[in-house]
Amino acid sequence: MKLLIKKAKIIDSSSSLNEKIVDVLVENGKITAIDKNISDDQAKVVSFKNLHLSRGWVDLHTNLQDPGYEHKEDFESGRKAAAAGGFTRIGLSPLSLPVRDSKSQIEYVINQNKSTLVELLPYGTVSKNAEGKELAELYDMHQAGAKAFFDGKNSISNPNLLIRALDYCRSFDGLLMNFTYNKDISPEGVMNEGEVSTSLGLKGIPELAEEIMLNRDIYLSNYTKGRLHFTTISSAASVQLIADAKKKGLNISCDVSSAHLLINDLELESFDSRLKTLPPFRSKSTVKSLIQGIKKGIIDALCSDHWPQDIESKKKEFDHAEFGIINLQTAFAAANTALQSEVSINKIIDLFTEGPERILKIDKNEIKVGAKANFTLFNPDANFTFEKKNVLSKSLNSPFFGKQLKGVVYGVVNNGKSNLN
Amino acid sequence: MGALSTKHLLGIKQLNQADIELIFSTADNFKEVINRPIKKVPSLRDITIANLFFENSTRTKLSFELAEKRLSADVVNFSAAASSVSKGETLIDTVNNILAMKVDMVVMRHPNPGAPIFLSKHIKANIINAGDGAHEHPTQALLDAYSIREKLGDVKGKKVAIVGDILHSRVALSNIYCLQKLGAEVMVCGPPTLIPKHIQSLGVKVEFSLDKALEWSDICMMLRIQLERQGSDRSVKYFPSLREYHQLYGLTSERLKKVKRSPVIMHPGPINRGVEISSELADSENSIILNQVENGVAIRMAVLYLLASEHENEE
Repeated sequence: MKLLIKKAKIIDSSSSLNEKIVDVLVENGKITAIDKNISDDQAKVVSFKNLHLSRGWVDLHTNLQDPGYEHKEDFESGRKAAAAGGFTRIGLSPLSLPVRDSKSQIEYVINQNKSTLVELLPYGTVSKNAEGKELAELYDMHQAGAKAFFDGKNSISNPNLLIRALDYCRSFDGLLMNFTYNKDISPEGVMNEGEVSTSLGLKGIPELAEEIMLNRDIYLSNYTKGRLHFTTISSAASVQLIADAKKKGLNISCDVSSAHLLINDLELESFDSRLKTLPPFRSKSTVKSLIQGIKKGIIDALCSDHWPQDIESKKKEFDHAEFGIINLQTAFAAANTALQSEVSINKIIDLFTEGPERILKIDKNEIKVGAKANFTLFNPDANFTFEKKNVLSKSLNSPFFGKQLKGVVYGVVNNGKSNLN
Repeated sequence: MGALSTKHLLGIKQLNQADIELIFSTADNFKEVINRPIKKVPSLRDITIANLFFENSTRTKLSFELAEKRLSADVVNFSAAASSVSKGETLIDTVNNILAMKVDMVVMRHPNPGAPIFLSKHIKANIINAGDGAHEHPTQALLDAYSIREKLGDVKGKKVAIVGDILHSRVALSNIYCLQKLGAEVMVCGPPTLIPKHIQSLGVKVEFSLDKALEWSDICMMLRIQLERQGSDRSVKYFPSLREYHQLYGLTSERLKKVKRSPVIMHPGPINRGVEISSELADSENSIILNQVENGVAIRMAVLYLLASEHENEE
């Protein structure tokens, strides 16, 4: 494959080419030339309106549930959705069935990565069977290629387990991830607790349920000096707690689901179960605080928290519907729509590249001659309306149908492959 | 006669003041009808109504059924505890199966908030919400406001205290919406564990002392303590014992003497005598509890009649 990308504006705050408009030539999966004006008769020419090019995006948190729930999403459909959303690498929550808690499970994922357009980054569970009791074989999974340890939406509620895991991972610099949610606070909660849940008579999940576990985890991180990442935080106080902890020099980081920057709980007034997810969509004022957290540099990364659910799991009474939204295809557009008037495009792209790369300690695919061609092509200024017919996932639980979003992804290039038409 | 602004009665939230007034004036006529020796009118002949009760109910179901029969509708009843539905069939399938037998209107009680709203997006019949979880119970709120209007002449400007388990109460929420739309002031009173944290955002006063609530109110609406909703296995109970609940929030004549007040007393039933209210007060002159029950039939006839006319207009 030989690709000639014409007139692309480079978005890479770490590169000297940042914001320059150049042509990029790709041969056999490598960047072979970057210049003002390249011509090559044999290359397939790629040209788009207002074309921007950045390092390939990384998603820190997707829930593909393969094996076990392939009818909701398998690796193939998940990859297609990821590529359409601009991602070349996606971090996988280990809550498949069976859960990914052993070396062989990690290898199952790694073996799917033979020069694919979208690479899967497997996470292993922290505890055996993600039950929160005993440590899984973390080192073995680390050796097999697990990029982090995470019990998925099963928050690590036992502090003793988290202390052991944080301590244990220090010997090989393993990364722990936690979704902090103390379920005992609101065992039956289905949406954000606030004015809206009160008016709907639905059981609420207060932000407090996230904050008290997050606060505990910060203490444990300080106690152990282990490396800990908080995924999908959704509260103003969480942002503040993390800011304070970072000032003290703790080894912590955090991400936010991009959909949570755009959707607030007022949209649940119609009891639309497509909007039921975890953490729940929060109030308007919390959304503002999360955006402030991004502006101030407290939030390290954005993720899709893509969580496919089939129609049978969603088309039911709100209380009975499963949690989760699909967001791989809309992750960037949601973030870009919410943030464009607040921060630079460089900052937004950093949250999908530099942030996740630094947290996961994975290669940074620089845009330079001789480097591996792993990049995303997009237009941050174009509007589009996301429709059911655009969905590449097997599931249709998107909160964005019919909504106008800003930020179109043209496609991705990686491992000598691309999804550009 | 006018028409309602909606084809379903999903909640008070979806009604405007004119709708409520129309329901009341229609109920006035039906109240006269049900006090005649011959209580039946042919208004809903050829209309088939299904009463779908996915949660136990005695009086609401009876009240709806009487209202339907007095309007000469054909009535079918379906009762299923939530557990038997969870065996597999979805709500939409269950209801569509019943509608396939040519049913025009559905009266539904369901344990999950929003279930009638969800259903209204997927089926064709008119839906009347007979209570959905802790969300709304619109006909109850309508009959309550109607009963206040009957007793005191007007709802506007009246001070209504709703006392008890506000957290799990669809009656409280619908009453808050309805009474506010009609210009009344609403206070909620009960143990802090049973008052939703954000209830003030609905524009109500919050009071934890029953004495103070009684000093303030013209009407005191006592709610039943729903023992079945006092916490699942997974959570801690909301108060330690009924005895203690009665000490703090039981309405007794001693308490009324102490605060020197005699508000109108209401209760949506069924009453736990000796828990939230003493027998003496439940049967007293100021109690309009049985008027509420009587008005319930008239209000439900009015709602059924108005929605059925909508139905006919469409066809």
